[in-house]
Amino acid sequence: MRTFVARTVPLFLLLSLLASCGAPTAATPTTAPAAPTNAAAPSPAAPEPTTATNASGAAPATGDPIPIGIAVAQTSNVALFGQEQVAGAQVAEAYFNQNGGVNGRPIKVVLQDTGGDEAGTINAFNALINNDKVVAIVGPTLSQQAFAADPIADKAGVPIIGPSNTAKGIPEIGDYIARISAPVTAVAPNAVKAALEINPNIKKVMVLFAQNDAFSKSETVVFQHTVTDTFKLDLIGVQTFQTTDTDFTTQATNVLNAAPDLVIISGLAADSGNLVKQLRDLGYTGLIVGGNGLNTPNLFPVCKAQCDGIIVAQAYSYQADTPINQDFRAAFKAKQNKEPGQFSAQAFTAVQVLVEALTALDKTKKLADMDLAALRTALNKQILSGTYITPLGNISFTPPGDINQQQFYVARVKMSADGSSGAFEFIK
Amino acid sequence: MGSFFNTYGFLLTSMVLAASLALSLYLPLMAGQLSLASPGFYALGGYIAAVLSTRYPAAGNTLFPLWRLLAEMLLAGLASGVLAVLVGVPALRLRGIYLALATIAFVEILRVLSLNLAITGGAVGIFGIPQPFSTQIGYLWIAGPLLLLSMLFTYRLERIRVGRAFVALREDELAADSMGISPTCYKVLAFTLGAVLAGVVGAISAHFLNTWNARQGTFDASISYLAFVLIGGSRTFVGPVVGGLVLTALPELLRALTGVSGLPPWLGQFLRDGRLIIYGALIAIGAVFFPQGLITPDLLSRWRKLQP
Repeated sequence: MRTFVARTVPLFLLLSLLASCGAPTAATPTTAPAAPTNAAAPSPAAPEPTTATNASGAAPATGDPIPIGIAVAQTSNVALFGQEQVAGAQVAEAYFNQNGGVNGRPIKVVLQDTGGDEAGTINAFNALINNDKVVAIVGPTLSQQAFAADPIADKAGVPIIGPSNTAKGIPEIGDYIARISAPVTAVAPNAVKAALEINPNIKKVMVLFAQNDAFSKSETVVFQHTVTDTFKLDLIGVQTFQTTDTDFTTQATNVLNAAPDLVIISGLAADSGNLVKQLRDLGYTGLIVGGNGLNTPNLFPVCKAQCDGIIVAQAYSYQADTPINQDFRAAFKAKQNKEPGQFSAQAFTAVQVLVEALTALDKTKKLADMDLAALRTALNKQILSGTYITPLGNISFTPPGDINQQQFYVARVKMSADGSSGAFEFIK
Repeated sequence: MGSFFNTYGFLLTSMVLAASLALSLYLPLMAGQLSLASPGFYALGGYIAAVLSTRYPAAGNTLFPLWRLLAEMLLAGLASGVLAVLVGVPALRLRGIYLALATIAFVEILRVLSLNLAITGGAVGIFGIPQPFSTQIGYLWIAGPLLLLSMLFTYRLERIRVGRAFVALREDELAADSMGISPTCYKVLAFTLGAVLAGVVGAISAHFLNTWNARQGTFDASISYLAFVLIGGSRTFVGPVVGGLVLTALPELLRALTGVSGLPPWLGQFLRDGRLIIYGALIAIGAVFFPQGLITPDLLSRWRKLQP
């Protein structure tokens, strides 16, 4: 027994040391909300008088904040996307609170990390729904996570806006599930069209996709369909890889042997970046079209100068010339010191949709008078019935909750000569 | 209390399921076989339940009938058992690290198969799996008794002839063989018992997670189950159960800690963002202070002596 005690005591001492750090401040009364949100957001209790330009001229929001849940992957290998979404949502929180919030009441973005798996997503959703008492949730990052966690939110009657779930069948999970990410069928064909405009002589096309990624798997079907049926090109081969792969010699050699005029890649950022790098290293010089997984600046450090020229269809362009997008772009650049990407813009848009729906709802009936369940139900109705002018353009929802988006873009990666920096240049 | 179960119903059930999975890894380990195949059978059981329940949905808009869930569990257990015998007989000729490698390969083969077969839905997997319970905590009615039964089974197993043979094999295979214990027979038996349990847990998990895909039961999962057993203690069945319960709850406990009112913002921030760092550090500290795992037979017998 003695050895057990001797071993346990130091362990608990260590633990209590950790815990005691919080103790002194626990006694002091605070007026701040219990759950800590991101430190960068203006404190709702005491909004700082900032000098930032106030687009709509409304006063900064004050009062009891309305909690909005953000459940995306802040850890795991999906975090490359999740972190961009967090950045977008935080910019949205600061921006809309600066512009009067929900009829004067601020919003509060509550982050819960889903990790990269299904169980973590369900835990994050449960925490947001029951502990943080959010009015709605923006998330999760992956479609597979959405299939696991969305039914739980639907059953609890909490509106969900998927910021990046593009698989078939997401809005159909339930009445409370909507998304602002256009399905692949709408976005992907634009990139192939753009490639044909750059090089009208394209005949032979090779398709590669990450076999273990749900998104890439459904996207490649759309690409293959576009190649063979829409543009009547010659699909000379389909190669598969895994998102965890780092060596693509086999695939690259096969591509070079087949000598295609166009290569289409559906994968995630890290693996696709390496694939592009190895393709170029081995001497492929033709055009490369990338899927949505390549639609992130996180790709640039992977393939550096060899990223140059990758064509990616976009649901969002930071160059879009609308007031809301200019505001978003400026706010994002001020905070992150780079141009916003599609994932950030979609997260911003999801928060915007919620803020505008809450504002519209508040005008008919005061939000403070409704209990949480009624508020969530009414909010869901309001979300689906509204139209929104967002950085993604003018959007609305179909009755099941899918997005109606008018405009899509195509961008081409432009890298600096040494490969240290790059950007998506919009070609249409 | 109601809100506690709403929030943590999912977690409580995941803890119980994780404990069962840790037991499924402990069973072959009882006979000294380091097998990482459990996640493969877990995935197989899940696919069986997912395919059966989505291809033949229950009539009407009601809850999925409970007897069908039980039937799926039975079928998953049977299929896993048969596959375990087929795989086990050749694979268990390997020892130690080679067996571990072979079982990792087995899990990988199943994963690649599920990515390529049409019936498993490829990488997207199977979704919209019908629910036999209206709440997440409801699954505890199935998972709880399953864990208790498996614990009871293992408790008895450790004390009967077969269990003694397992332990003899674990301590010294040659000596056990010379005493008339057939190594192949008992090793395959231990392997199969673990596989059956993993398959049954998989069938529950498919319903429990609403969706099933090739990301379930991968190599990463093998490692976490192994951590359950090693941190919990690999010499008595209580160890893996405690390990599974504690290690599944820990990340969520740390998540809940961030919501405690009155924490200074920096600490809340650190607890939230660094929760996986703390989790990893605690595992490392646990391994340093308890090299035999948290629960050892020594400890259990001392506790027993303390009773009047």
